[in-house]
Amino acid sequence: MGNGDVVQGTLEMLILKTLALEPMHGYGVALRIEQVSRGVFRVNPGSLLPALARMERAGRVKSEWRASENNRRAKYYMLTARGRKALADERATWDRQTAAIARILEA
Amino acid sequence: MSFWRSLNSGFRSLMHSKRTERELDEELQAFHDASVGEKMRQGMPADAAERAARIEMGSRNAVKHHVRSAGWESWVESFLSDLRLSLRGLMRSPGFTLIAVLSLALGIGANTAIFTLIKQVLLQSLPVYKPQQLVLFGKSLSNGILGGVDVGTYDQYTYDFALQLERHPGPFAGVASYSSFPPEVSVRVPGAGAAEQVTTSLVSGNFFGVLGAEPMIGRTITPSDASAPGQNAVVVVSHHFWQKVLSSDPAIVGRTININSTPFTVIGVMPERFHGMSRDFDPPDLWAPLTMAEAIMMQPGMLAPRSFYFLHMFARTSPQSSVAADQQWLDTQIRNYVLAGEGKTITPERRAEIGRLTDKLAPGGSGVSHIGDKYGTSLNILMAVVGIVLLIACANLANFLLARAVMRQREIATRLALGSSRARIVRQSFMEAILLSLAGGACGLAVAFAATRTLIAFVAEGATYSPLSARPDATTLLFTLGVSLLAGALFGLAPALHVGRSSARLASNANARTASGAGGRKGRFWPNALVTVQIMLSVLLLVGAGLFLRTLEKLQDQNLGFNQTHLLIAGFDPHLAGYTPEQVPALNQRLIDRLSAIPGVQSVALSAVPPMSQGAWHSSLTIPGYTPAPREDMGSVLERVSGRYFETTGIPIVAGRAIAPADHAGTAKVAVINEVIAKKYFPHGDAIGRTLKIGIDSVAGPWRIVGVAQNTKFFGPREKPSPIVYLPLAQIVGKNGEGIGDSFAYTMLLRTKRDPAGSIADLRRAVASVDPNLPLLQIRTIQEQVETFVSHETLISRLTTAFSALALLLACIGLYGVMSFGVLRRQNEIGVRIALGATQGGVQWMVLRESLWLLALGLVLGLPVALGAANAVRSQLYEMSPFDPSILAVAVLVIAAVTALAAWLPARRAAMVDPVVSLRCE
Repeated sequence: MGNGDVVQGTLEMLILKTLALEPMHGYGVALRIEQVSRGVFRVNPGSLLPALARMERAGRVKSEWRASENNRRAKYYMLTARGRKALADERATWDRQTAAIARILEA
Repeated sequence: MSFWRSLNSGFRSLMHSKRTERELDEELQAFHDASVGEKMRQGMPADAAERAARIEMGSRNAVKHHVRSAGWESWVESFLSDLRLSLRGLMRSPGFTLIAVLSLALGIGANTAIFTLIKQVLLQSLPVYKPQQLVLFGKSLSNGILGGVDVGTYDQYTYDFALQLERHPGPFAGVASYSSFPPEVSVRVPGAGAAEQVTTSLVSGNFFGVLGAEPMIGRTITPSDASAPGQNAVVVVSHHFWQKVLSSDPAIVGRTININSTPFTVIGVMPERFHGMSRDFDPPDLWAPLTMAEAIMMQPGMLAPRSFYFLHMFARTSPQSSVAADQQWLDTQIRNYVLAGEGKTITPERRAEIGRLTDKLAPGGSGVSHIGDKYGTSLNILMAVVGIVLLIACANLANFLLARAVMRQREIATRLALGSSRARIVRQSFMEAILLSLAGGACGLAVAFAATRTLIAFVAEGATYSPLSARPDATTLLFTLGVSLLAGALFGLAPALHVGRSSARLASNANARTASGAGGRKGRFWPNALVTVQIMLSVLLLVGAGLFLRTLEKLQDQNLGFNQTHLLIAGFDPHLAGYTPEQVPALNQRLIDRLSAIPGVQSVALSAVPPMSQGAWHSSLTIPGYTPAPREDMGSVLERVSGRYFETTGIPIVAGRAIAPADHAGTAKVAVINEVIAKKYFPHGDAIGRTLKIGIDSVAGPWRIVGVAQNTKFFGPREKPSPIVYLPLAQIVGKNGEGIGDSFAYTMLLRTKRDPAGSIADLRRAVASVDPNLPLLQIRTIQEQVETFVSHETLISRLTTAFSALALLLACIGLYGVMSFGVLRRQNEIGVRIALGATQGGVQWMVLRESLWLLALGLVLGLPVALGAANAVRSQLYEMSPFDPSILAVAVLVIAAVTALAAWLPARRAAMVDPVVSLRCE
């Protein structure tokens, strides 16, 4: 994790959480994850964009082309209702698992 | 919903792949720009930010590839590209592709052809309501009119018995009956030209109801149409008759047609696929109520109680009743009926005999098929044979593809090293196989169509209307597709496994060819195993072909008891021309006189049936002075013959004299018996001068025996000689010498000096000069007549021979291919050997030895399998052991010769290897 990789299986949850705040383009998501995690996680486009494509296929996010801050066209992703539900579910699972792991480590 | 969205966007990106590509590029560019912008905002110089962003992103193509593979359409894309690759690969070696597709087309085509027939002959259900509920009272395969037997014998029933069960069907939902044979009638449509000869089925009033058949136009016969004898002149016609004779007249219902000069009202037309219970060639064209039997059969008294046994019966089972209960009920009905017909005193033996009477219920959902009865076993054997041929073809292709895979070792290793997934390479290898098999299957359909048409024509024996069709239907197409895919999977497996095991390291090995070439025993396992299997299966087919050929030969070459050449046989039926029994003796005499005058005809005779026949007049005999044991079979075939019958057929008289023209109505009644009867009843050789009586009133006798004729194979070449009594046709008359129902002859026999077929036109002219209305039904030479009795042996032996030749050819090609490839791969080794002093002979022997080992192994494995299979078809053979050593020897010799030849050519090539050239190749 120190090398910047996201914990396996959590990338989608992190993207969902990030997009839950506001619609963002791909780089915005990457930047936000890096900033909020204080540089612990670095998401490169090679895994971010395929993940976004997968999630779009699954109907968890949708996308549209908009003008970005610097007036360039960019593809913005936003959460769908299904995505919101998926986020809640994954979050619950994650909380349960980390709590369990914590208990085991402390035992 | 998400499925549909995924499907939708997948299609969109497939359809608009350019646009999707552009959008992806744009998004990546935007990502990159944003990244550069952010880095510059944090204070990086422009060029450093640019470089850092590029490093972060890595290979743009890799990113794009990953994004694309998120959707299923990427799979389709790679599938299409694999498809293109495979197609290109196949196009590059057109020779291989051609041979592969051709051998598959033959293999798959043969399978489809036999399956088409099996499906139509054995599997297809009647086009009626819930056919699986129908049961036959016995197999209902024998047809004719019986007298003096117990009800249910040969599955034949009387009208009164059938009517009784129709009214009280017991545990069944319904019981119906129909005439066991379709009487031929003469139909005249008012306003139309000549009369048509068509076959008619007499049916009970509830026949269509119990069968559950719906008409196409009008209505079917109902119980009210069979109310009283002679009162219900209505008829239902077949689709075929409606088209051919009634010109597809949509307003035909209610019109009148004349059947045997009686006007009948057409009440309905059946759909095209309906042929009553019949699944045979020339099925009935008309259905009339049984109560009209006299008008249709031109014979009175058919419906009298306990008179004639001429009906087949069937029933629709009720879901509430079990098979055992149904069977028991039927047997009880049969036994009670027979008991009620016995005299006042019944011996205990007879009572016990009646208690054993039964007629086994048989499934009726597929109707009654004589074709199925005759060819069923042959077709099943042939299905196995064509399956084996296809297996051999598959083994061949597996070997060829394996060889290609080995040749492509380097390409595959390179692809693996460059990061291609193993699964994708295996998939492509499989795809090549499936492509080949599908192409083979498509061509196979054409092969199957032609083959099925030929087979049907053979089986039909000249029938004018056939319910079989060569046109493939949905089931057949599905079968072909299934077989193709299965074959593809089968021969794609070995090469795919090989590819799956290849390693990427080989690519870097400069000596890759040597490595794979010296792959040794392990590398050669699959090719050798496949060739061994081919040899094994070829042995099996060759032995089978040998057995069937020998059987046919034995059947044809035996002494049938009559002269098998120069005899012309013609069927005719004076009933159809309106002759009454009284007119028949004069007609017979006129025919004999006129036919004898045909130039080139040596002698002429009339008889009831030809010397070899499917059916016969039959009765029990009483011999004064001979006391039969209880239940002893006293039956005999009766044949009525005109004066020069024995001379004409060439049946030798072994004692006494033949029936002569001088034996006529005015002289003492005489008979000729055959050796079976003479031996059984007159074991001391004292038959001549004794008398016999016959169990049929019109010909009861007594008849004085004047001669003994040699035995003949009356019921076919496979049957044991039957007992036969020959009676003079001219003496079968009433008390005052007038003609009676049994005076009719139905067969003309002409012994000719030259080829009998050359006399057919003269025969037709001669008969027409006697009576232009007298129809000749079927004209055959005696050879053709005998051939109809061995047709399924002919079919199976010809096809098995053809298929085993094909199999052998394929196995040969396979062995040749494997050996040649082996020599090619071992070129270095052989070069070295020659350089070190190996002789040409030595090298040849080295290569040859390997294939001889395969041959030996194939034989060792194949012979037991072949013997087992031969034992399984024992019942199809005739007077020979399934383990006939000469046939086994010939099969082994043939396969050894062919194998040696296929191996010798590559061996010779190996010996020619120039050590300098082959070593320099590296």
